[in-house]
Amino acid sequence: MAFTPRGGRGGGDRGGRGGGRGGGRGGFTPRGGRGGARGGPGGGRGGGRGGPRGGGRGAPRGGRGGARGGARGGAKVIVEPHRHAGIFVARGKEDMLVTKNLTPGESVYGEKRISVDAPATGEDGAATKIEYRVWNPFRSKLAAGVLGGLENIYIQPGAKVLYIGAASGTSVSHVADIVGPTGNVYAVEFSHRSGRDLINMAKKRTNVIPIIEDARHPMKYRMLIGMVDAVFADVAQPDQARIVGLNCHLFLKDQGGVLISIKANCIDSTAPAAAVFAKEVQKMREEKIKPSEQLTLEPFERDHCIVVGKYNRSA
Amino acid sequence: MSAVDYLLQESAVGYGLYQVVNQADTIGNRLKEVQEAALDLAKFGKMVKLVSFAPFKGAAEALENANDISEGIVSEQLKALLELNLPKGGKKKRVVLGIVDKNLAQSIKAEFPGVDCETNEVVQDLLRGLRLHGPKLLKQLADGDMDRAQLGLGHAYSRAKVKFSVQKNDNHIIQSIALLDLMDKDINTFAMRVREWYGWHFPELVKIVPDNYKYCKLVLFIKDKKTLSDEALHDLAALVEDDSGVAQSVIDAAKVSMGQDISETDMENITTFAEKVTSLADYRKTLYGYLVDKMAVVAPNLATLIGEVVGARLISHAGSLTNLSKYPASTVQILGAEKALFRALKTKGNTPKYGLIYHSSFIGKAGPKNKGRISRFLANKCSIASRIDSFSDQPTTKFGEVLKKQVEERLEFYATGAAPTKNQDAMKAAMDSVLGDINVDVDEEEAPAKAKEPKKEKKDKKEKKEKKKSKGAEPEPTAETVSKKRSREDDEEVDEEAERKKRKAEKKAAKEAKKAAKEGKKEKKKSKA
Repeated sequence: MAFTPRGGRGGGDRGGRGGGRGGGRGGFTPRGGRGGARGGPGGGRGGGRGGPRGGGRGAPRGGRGGARGGARGGAKVIVEPHRHAGIFVARGKEDMLVTKNLTPGESVYGEKRISVDAPATGEDGAATKIEYRVWNPFRSKLAAGVLGGLENIYIQPGAKVLYIGAASGTSVSHVADIVGPTGNVYAVEFSHRSGRDLINMAKKRTNVIPIIEDARHPMKYRMLIGMVDAVFADVAQPDQARIVGLNCHLFLKDQGGVLISIKANCIDSTAPAAAVFAKEVQKMREEKIKPSEQLTLEPFERDHCIVVGKYNRSA
Repeated sequence: MSAVDYLLQESAVGYGLYQVVNQADTIGNRLKEVQEAALDLAKFGKMVKLVSFAPFKGAAEALENANDISEGIVSEQLKALLELNLPKGGKKKRVVLGIVDKNLAQSIKAEFPGVDCETNEVVQDLLRGLRLHGPKLLKQLADGDMDRAQLGLGHAYSRAKVKFSVQKNDNHIIQSIALLDLMDKDINTFAMRVREWYGWHFPELVKIVPDNYKYCKLVLFIKDKKTLSDEALHDLAALVEDDSGVAQSVIDAAKVSMGQDISETDMENITTFAEKVTSLADYRKTLYGYLVDKMAVVAPNLATLIGEVVGARLISHAGSLTNLSKYPASTVQILGAEKALFRALKTKGNTPKYGLIYHSSFIGKAGPKNKGRISRFLANKCSIASRIDSFSDQPTTKFGEVLKKQVEERLEFYATGAAPTKNQDAMKAAMDSVLGDINVDVDEEEAPAKAKEPKKEKKDKKEKKEKKKSKGAEPEPTAETVSKKRSREDDEEVDEEAERKKRKAEKKAAKEAKKAAKEGKKEKKKSKA
């Protein structure tokens, strides 16, 4: 997966972008509306990317297939900060959500990397490169939520985050990118099999603390965790509201943020999704979490939603 | 409830013991104030005072303590800290220690009779404050020490968790059954390729020897069909199970074959491939033998009842034998048919009758009307067998044999109406034969110590019998109507379940059984999800 930043840059006059991106690319523009969230990967291949690439496609890059989407190599990419601190948008042929790679030169799960010149800060004027990793909303529910236009995600640089249901650590790695070296991600996962991958990922990122334990028993890992600013839960268990509540009571700061991803099927496969969500939100209220936002992850996942809330200890 | 005197905080760097200084009498009533004060470092600093801090001396010690804390055990370090710093509580003046975990509270109480442990909401809020400000209250700690300690400890703890796996033996079963299934598929496709390829040269052979493995063996033996002469008859027959008729027809077919000629290099390639296929097939056989052996060790009763392969599939689908044993029989019945089940639940249609256990020979033997019934019955027995396997210390196949016989009798009953053995009798027979074995052991080893056990168990059984009698007071139905019989059967299953649980409880500590039941509930939920 050698990334060749130079390749594209050399032909600076490719001009392929042609300004045709248009405004309608939902999603990435702040508050881009839910419906338009499709804008990113997959959809939205507007006009304006035609001709210039035609002839020499692939050849200068050693015959690599030219068909891949995204902004690798060929197109010029501009990375802009997203509305949420720590998240960026790469604007190329297609817009992509990216996070700044904490361990440059490495992919965690085979995702694409983009490196761009940093604004020359060094005194000798040497351009440094910053590497970003593409965050696929089809694989990460948090990314889907961000694209869907969540108002507040509480996960920001320097934050301490408790991530329940870390699985193999793919999304966790992006969260770790967002919080940066000053933050911490406590990644809790129950399964030994995926826990193995999680630990391996955490070896490379020192701000991730892997915890292989059942999140139903936060007491068991209370020694490993300090107070956190936000809790993200993606556990897909029927009693997930309870699990989140238990962890919040122990570890979450007052007025800290709670994000729960809910898969309707995992809680009740017979009831309609909307009813399940409503029931879960009610359960969250009982756990002293004041819900502020609910967002379906529609184009990316079916019958899923993310609920954002604030933990109100003294309520 | 008296106010809290001390607070114990467990962290990744060590144990901290704090004294609650600003102890208003009404502290219990001022929940909200405690909460708000806990947010403010200045205020909170006045409320509590660090008494002592016992840092861990190294990563190993920290890990040891983390494990103890997570199990609710008082470690040596903690004991020393409390002993040194807590005033000896008398009868009148009790010392109240606020901690976060109820399990630990019990252990501490056992160690220090003069100390009361409190885990109420006020304490939780105070401890939340400690968690929030702890690093700042501990003056010796440099910035980032806590993070580093947490990181190191987190890795160590998680690695230990991953390394230690309860279901080591099941893993091999799960892997080997998956490999077995894969190889069946692959060997079949490979053999088809051999037939296709060699078929250009000798198309008649497929008709004469349809079996894949034999076909490949024959390909290796015959090679170029022109070289096949009558003298080869004997060797040829050896490859087709000494059937000289088949061997002769192969030779005859080779003489008049309409296949095209083949060059030496082409033939070489075919034979190389055929060799691979036969060696794969041989390996599959040894793998199967391995699986059978493994099942006989890990789940002997289940294997006896339903067969090694289906049993292994059940285990693999459940994730482990322990998981399987925690499933209710209804879940076992449709294990592997989740898609159909959820579709049925969603559309309010009929739920599937069977999942993986369909592949057991019993279901095939039953008439179309009785397939669902026998499937339910078999699932019941499987669930019992897996529980025995999972929770018994001494592996035995006695129960499996009895359960199998019961299923057979039930099949017979559906077919002819012959009344099956009563469940009670069947189980008693199994227990007796198992106990017989145990008794022999007892005589050899420690007669006086263990002699009581069988007696107790027998007594238990008498009790059960009586219970059963009272429950089954209604006249024992003979095979009149199936529906009546069925309801009785269901009753019996319930009884059996209870009986099993009792026995389990005897074998294992009562606590463990409770835990298992709890876990089982959870698993159930999980499996539903």
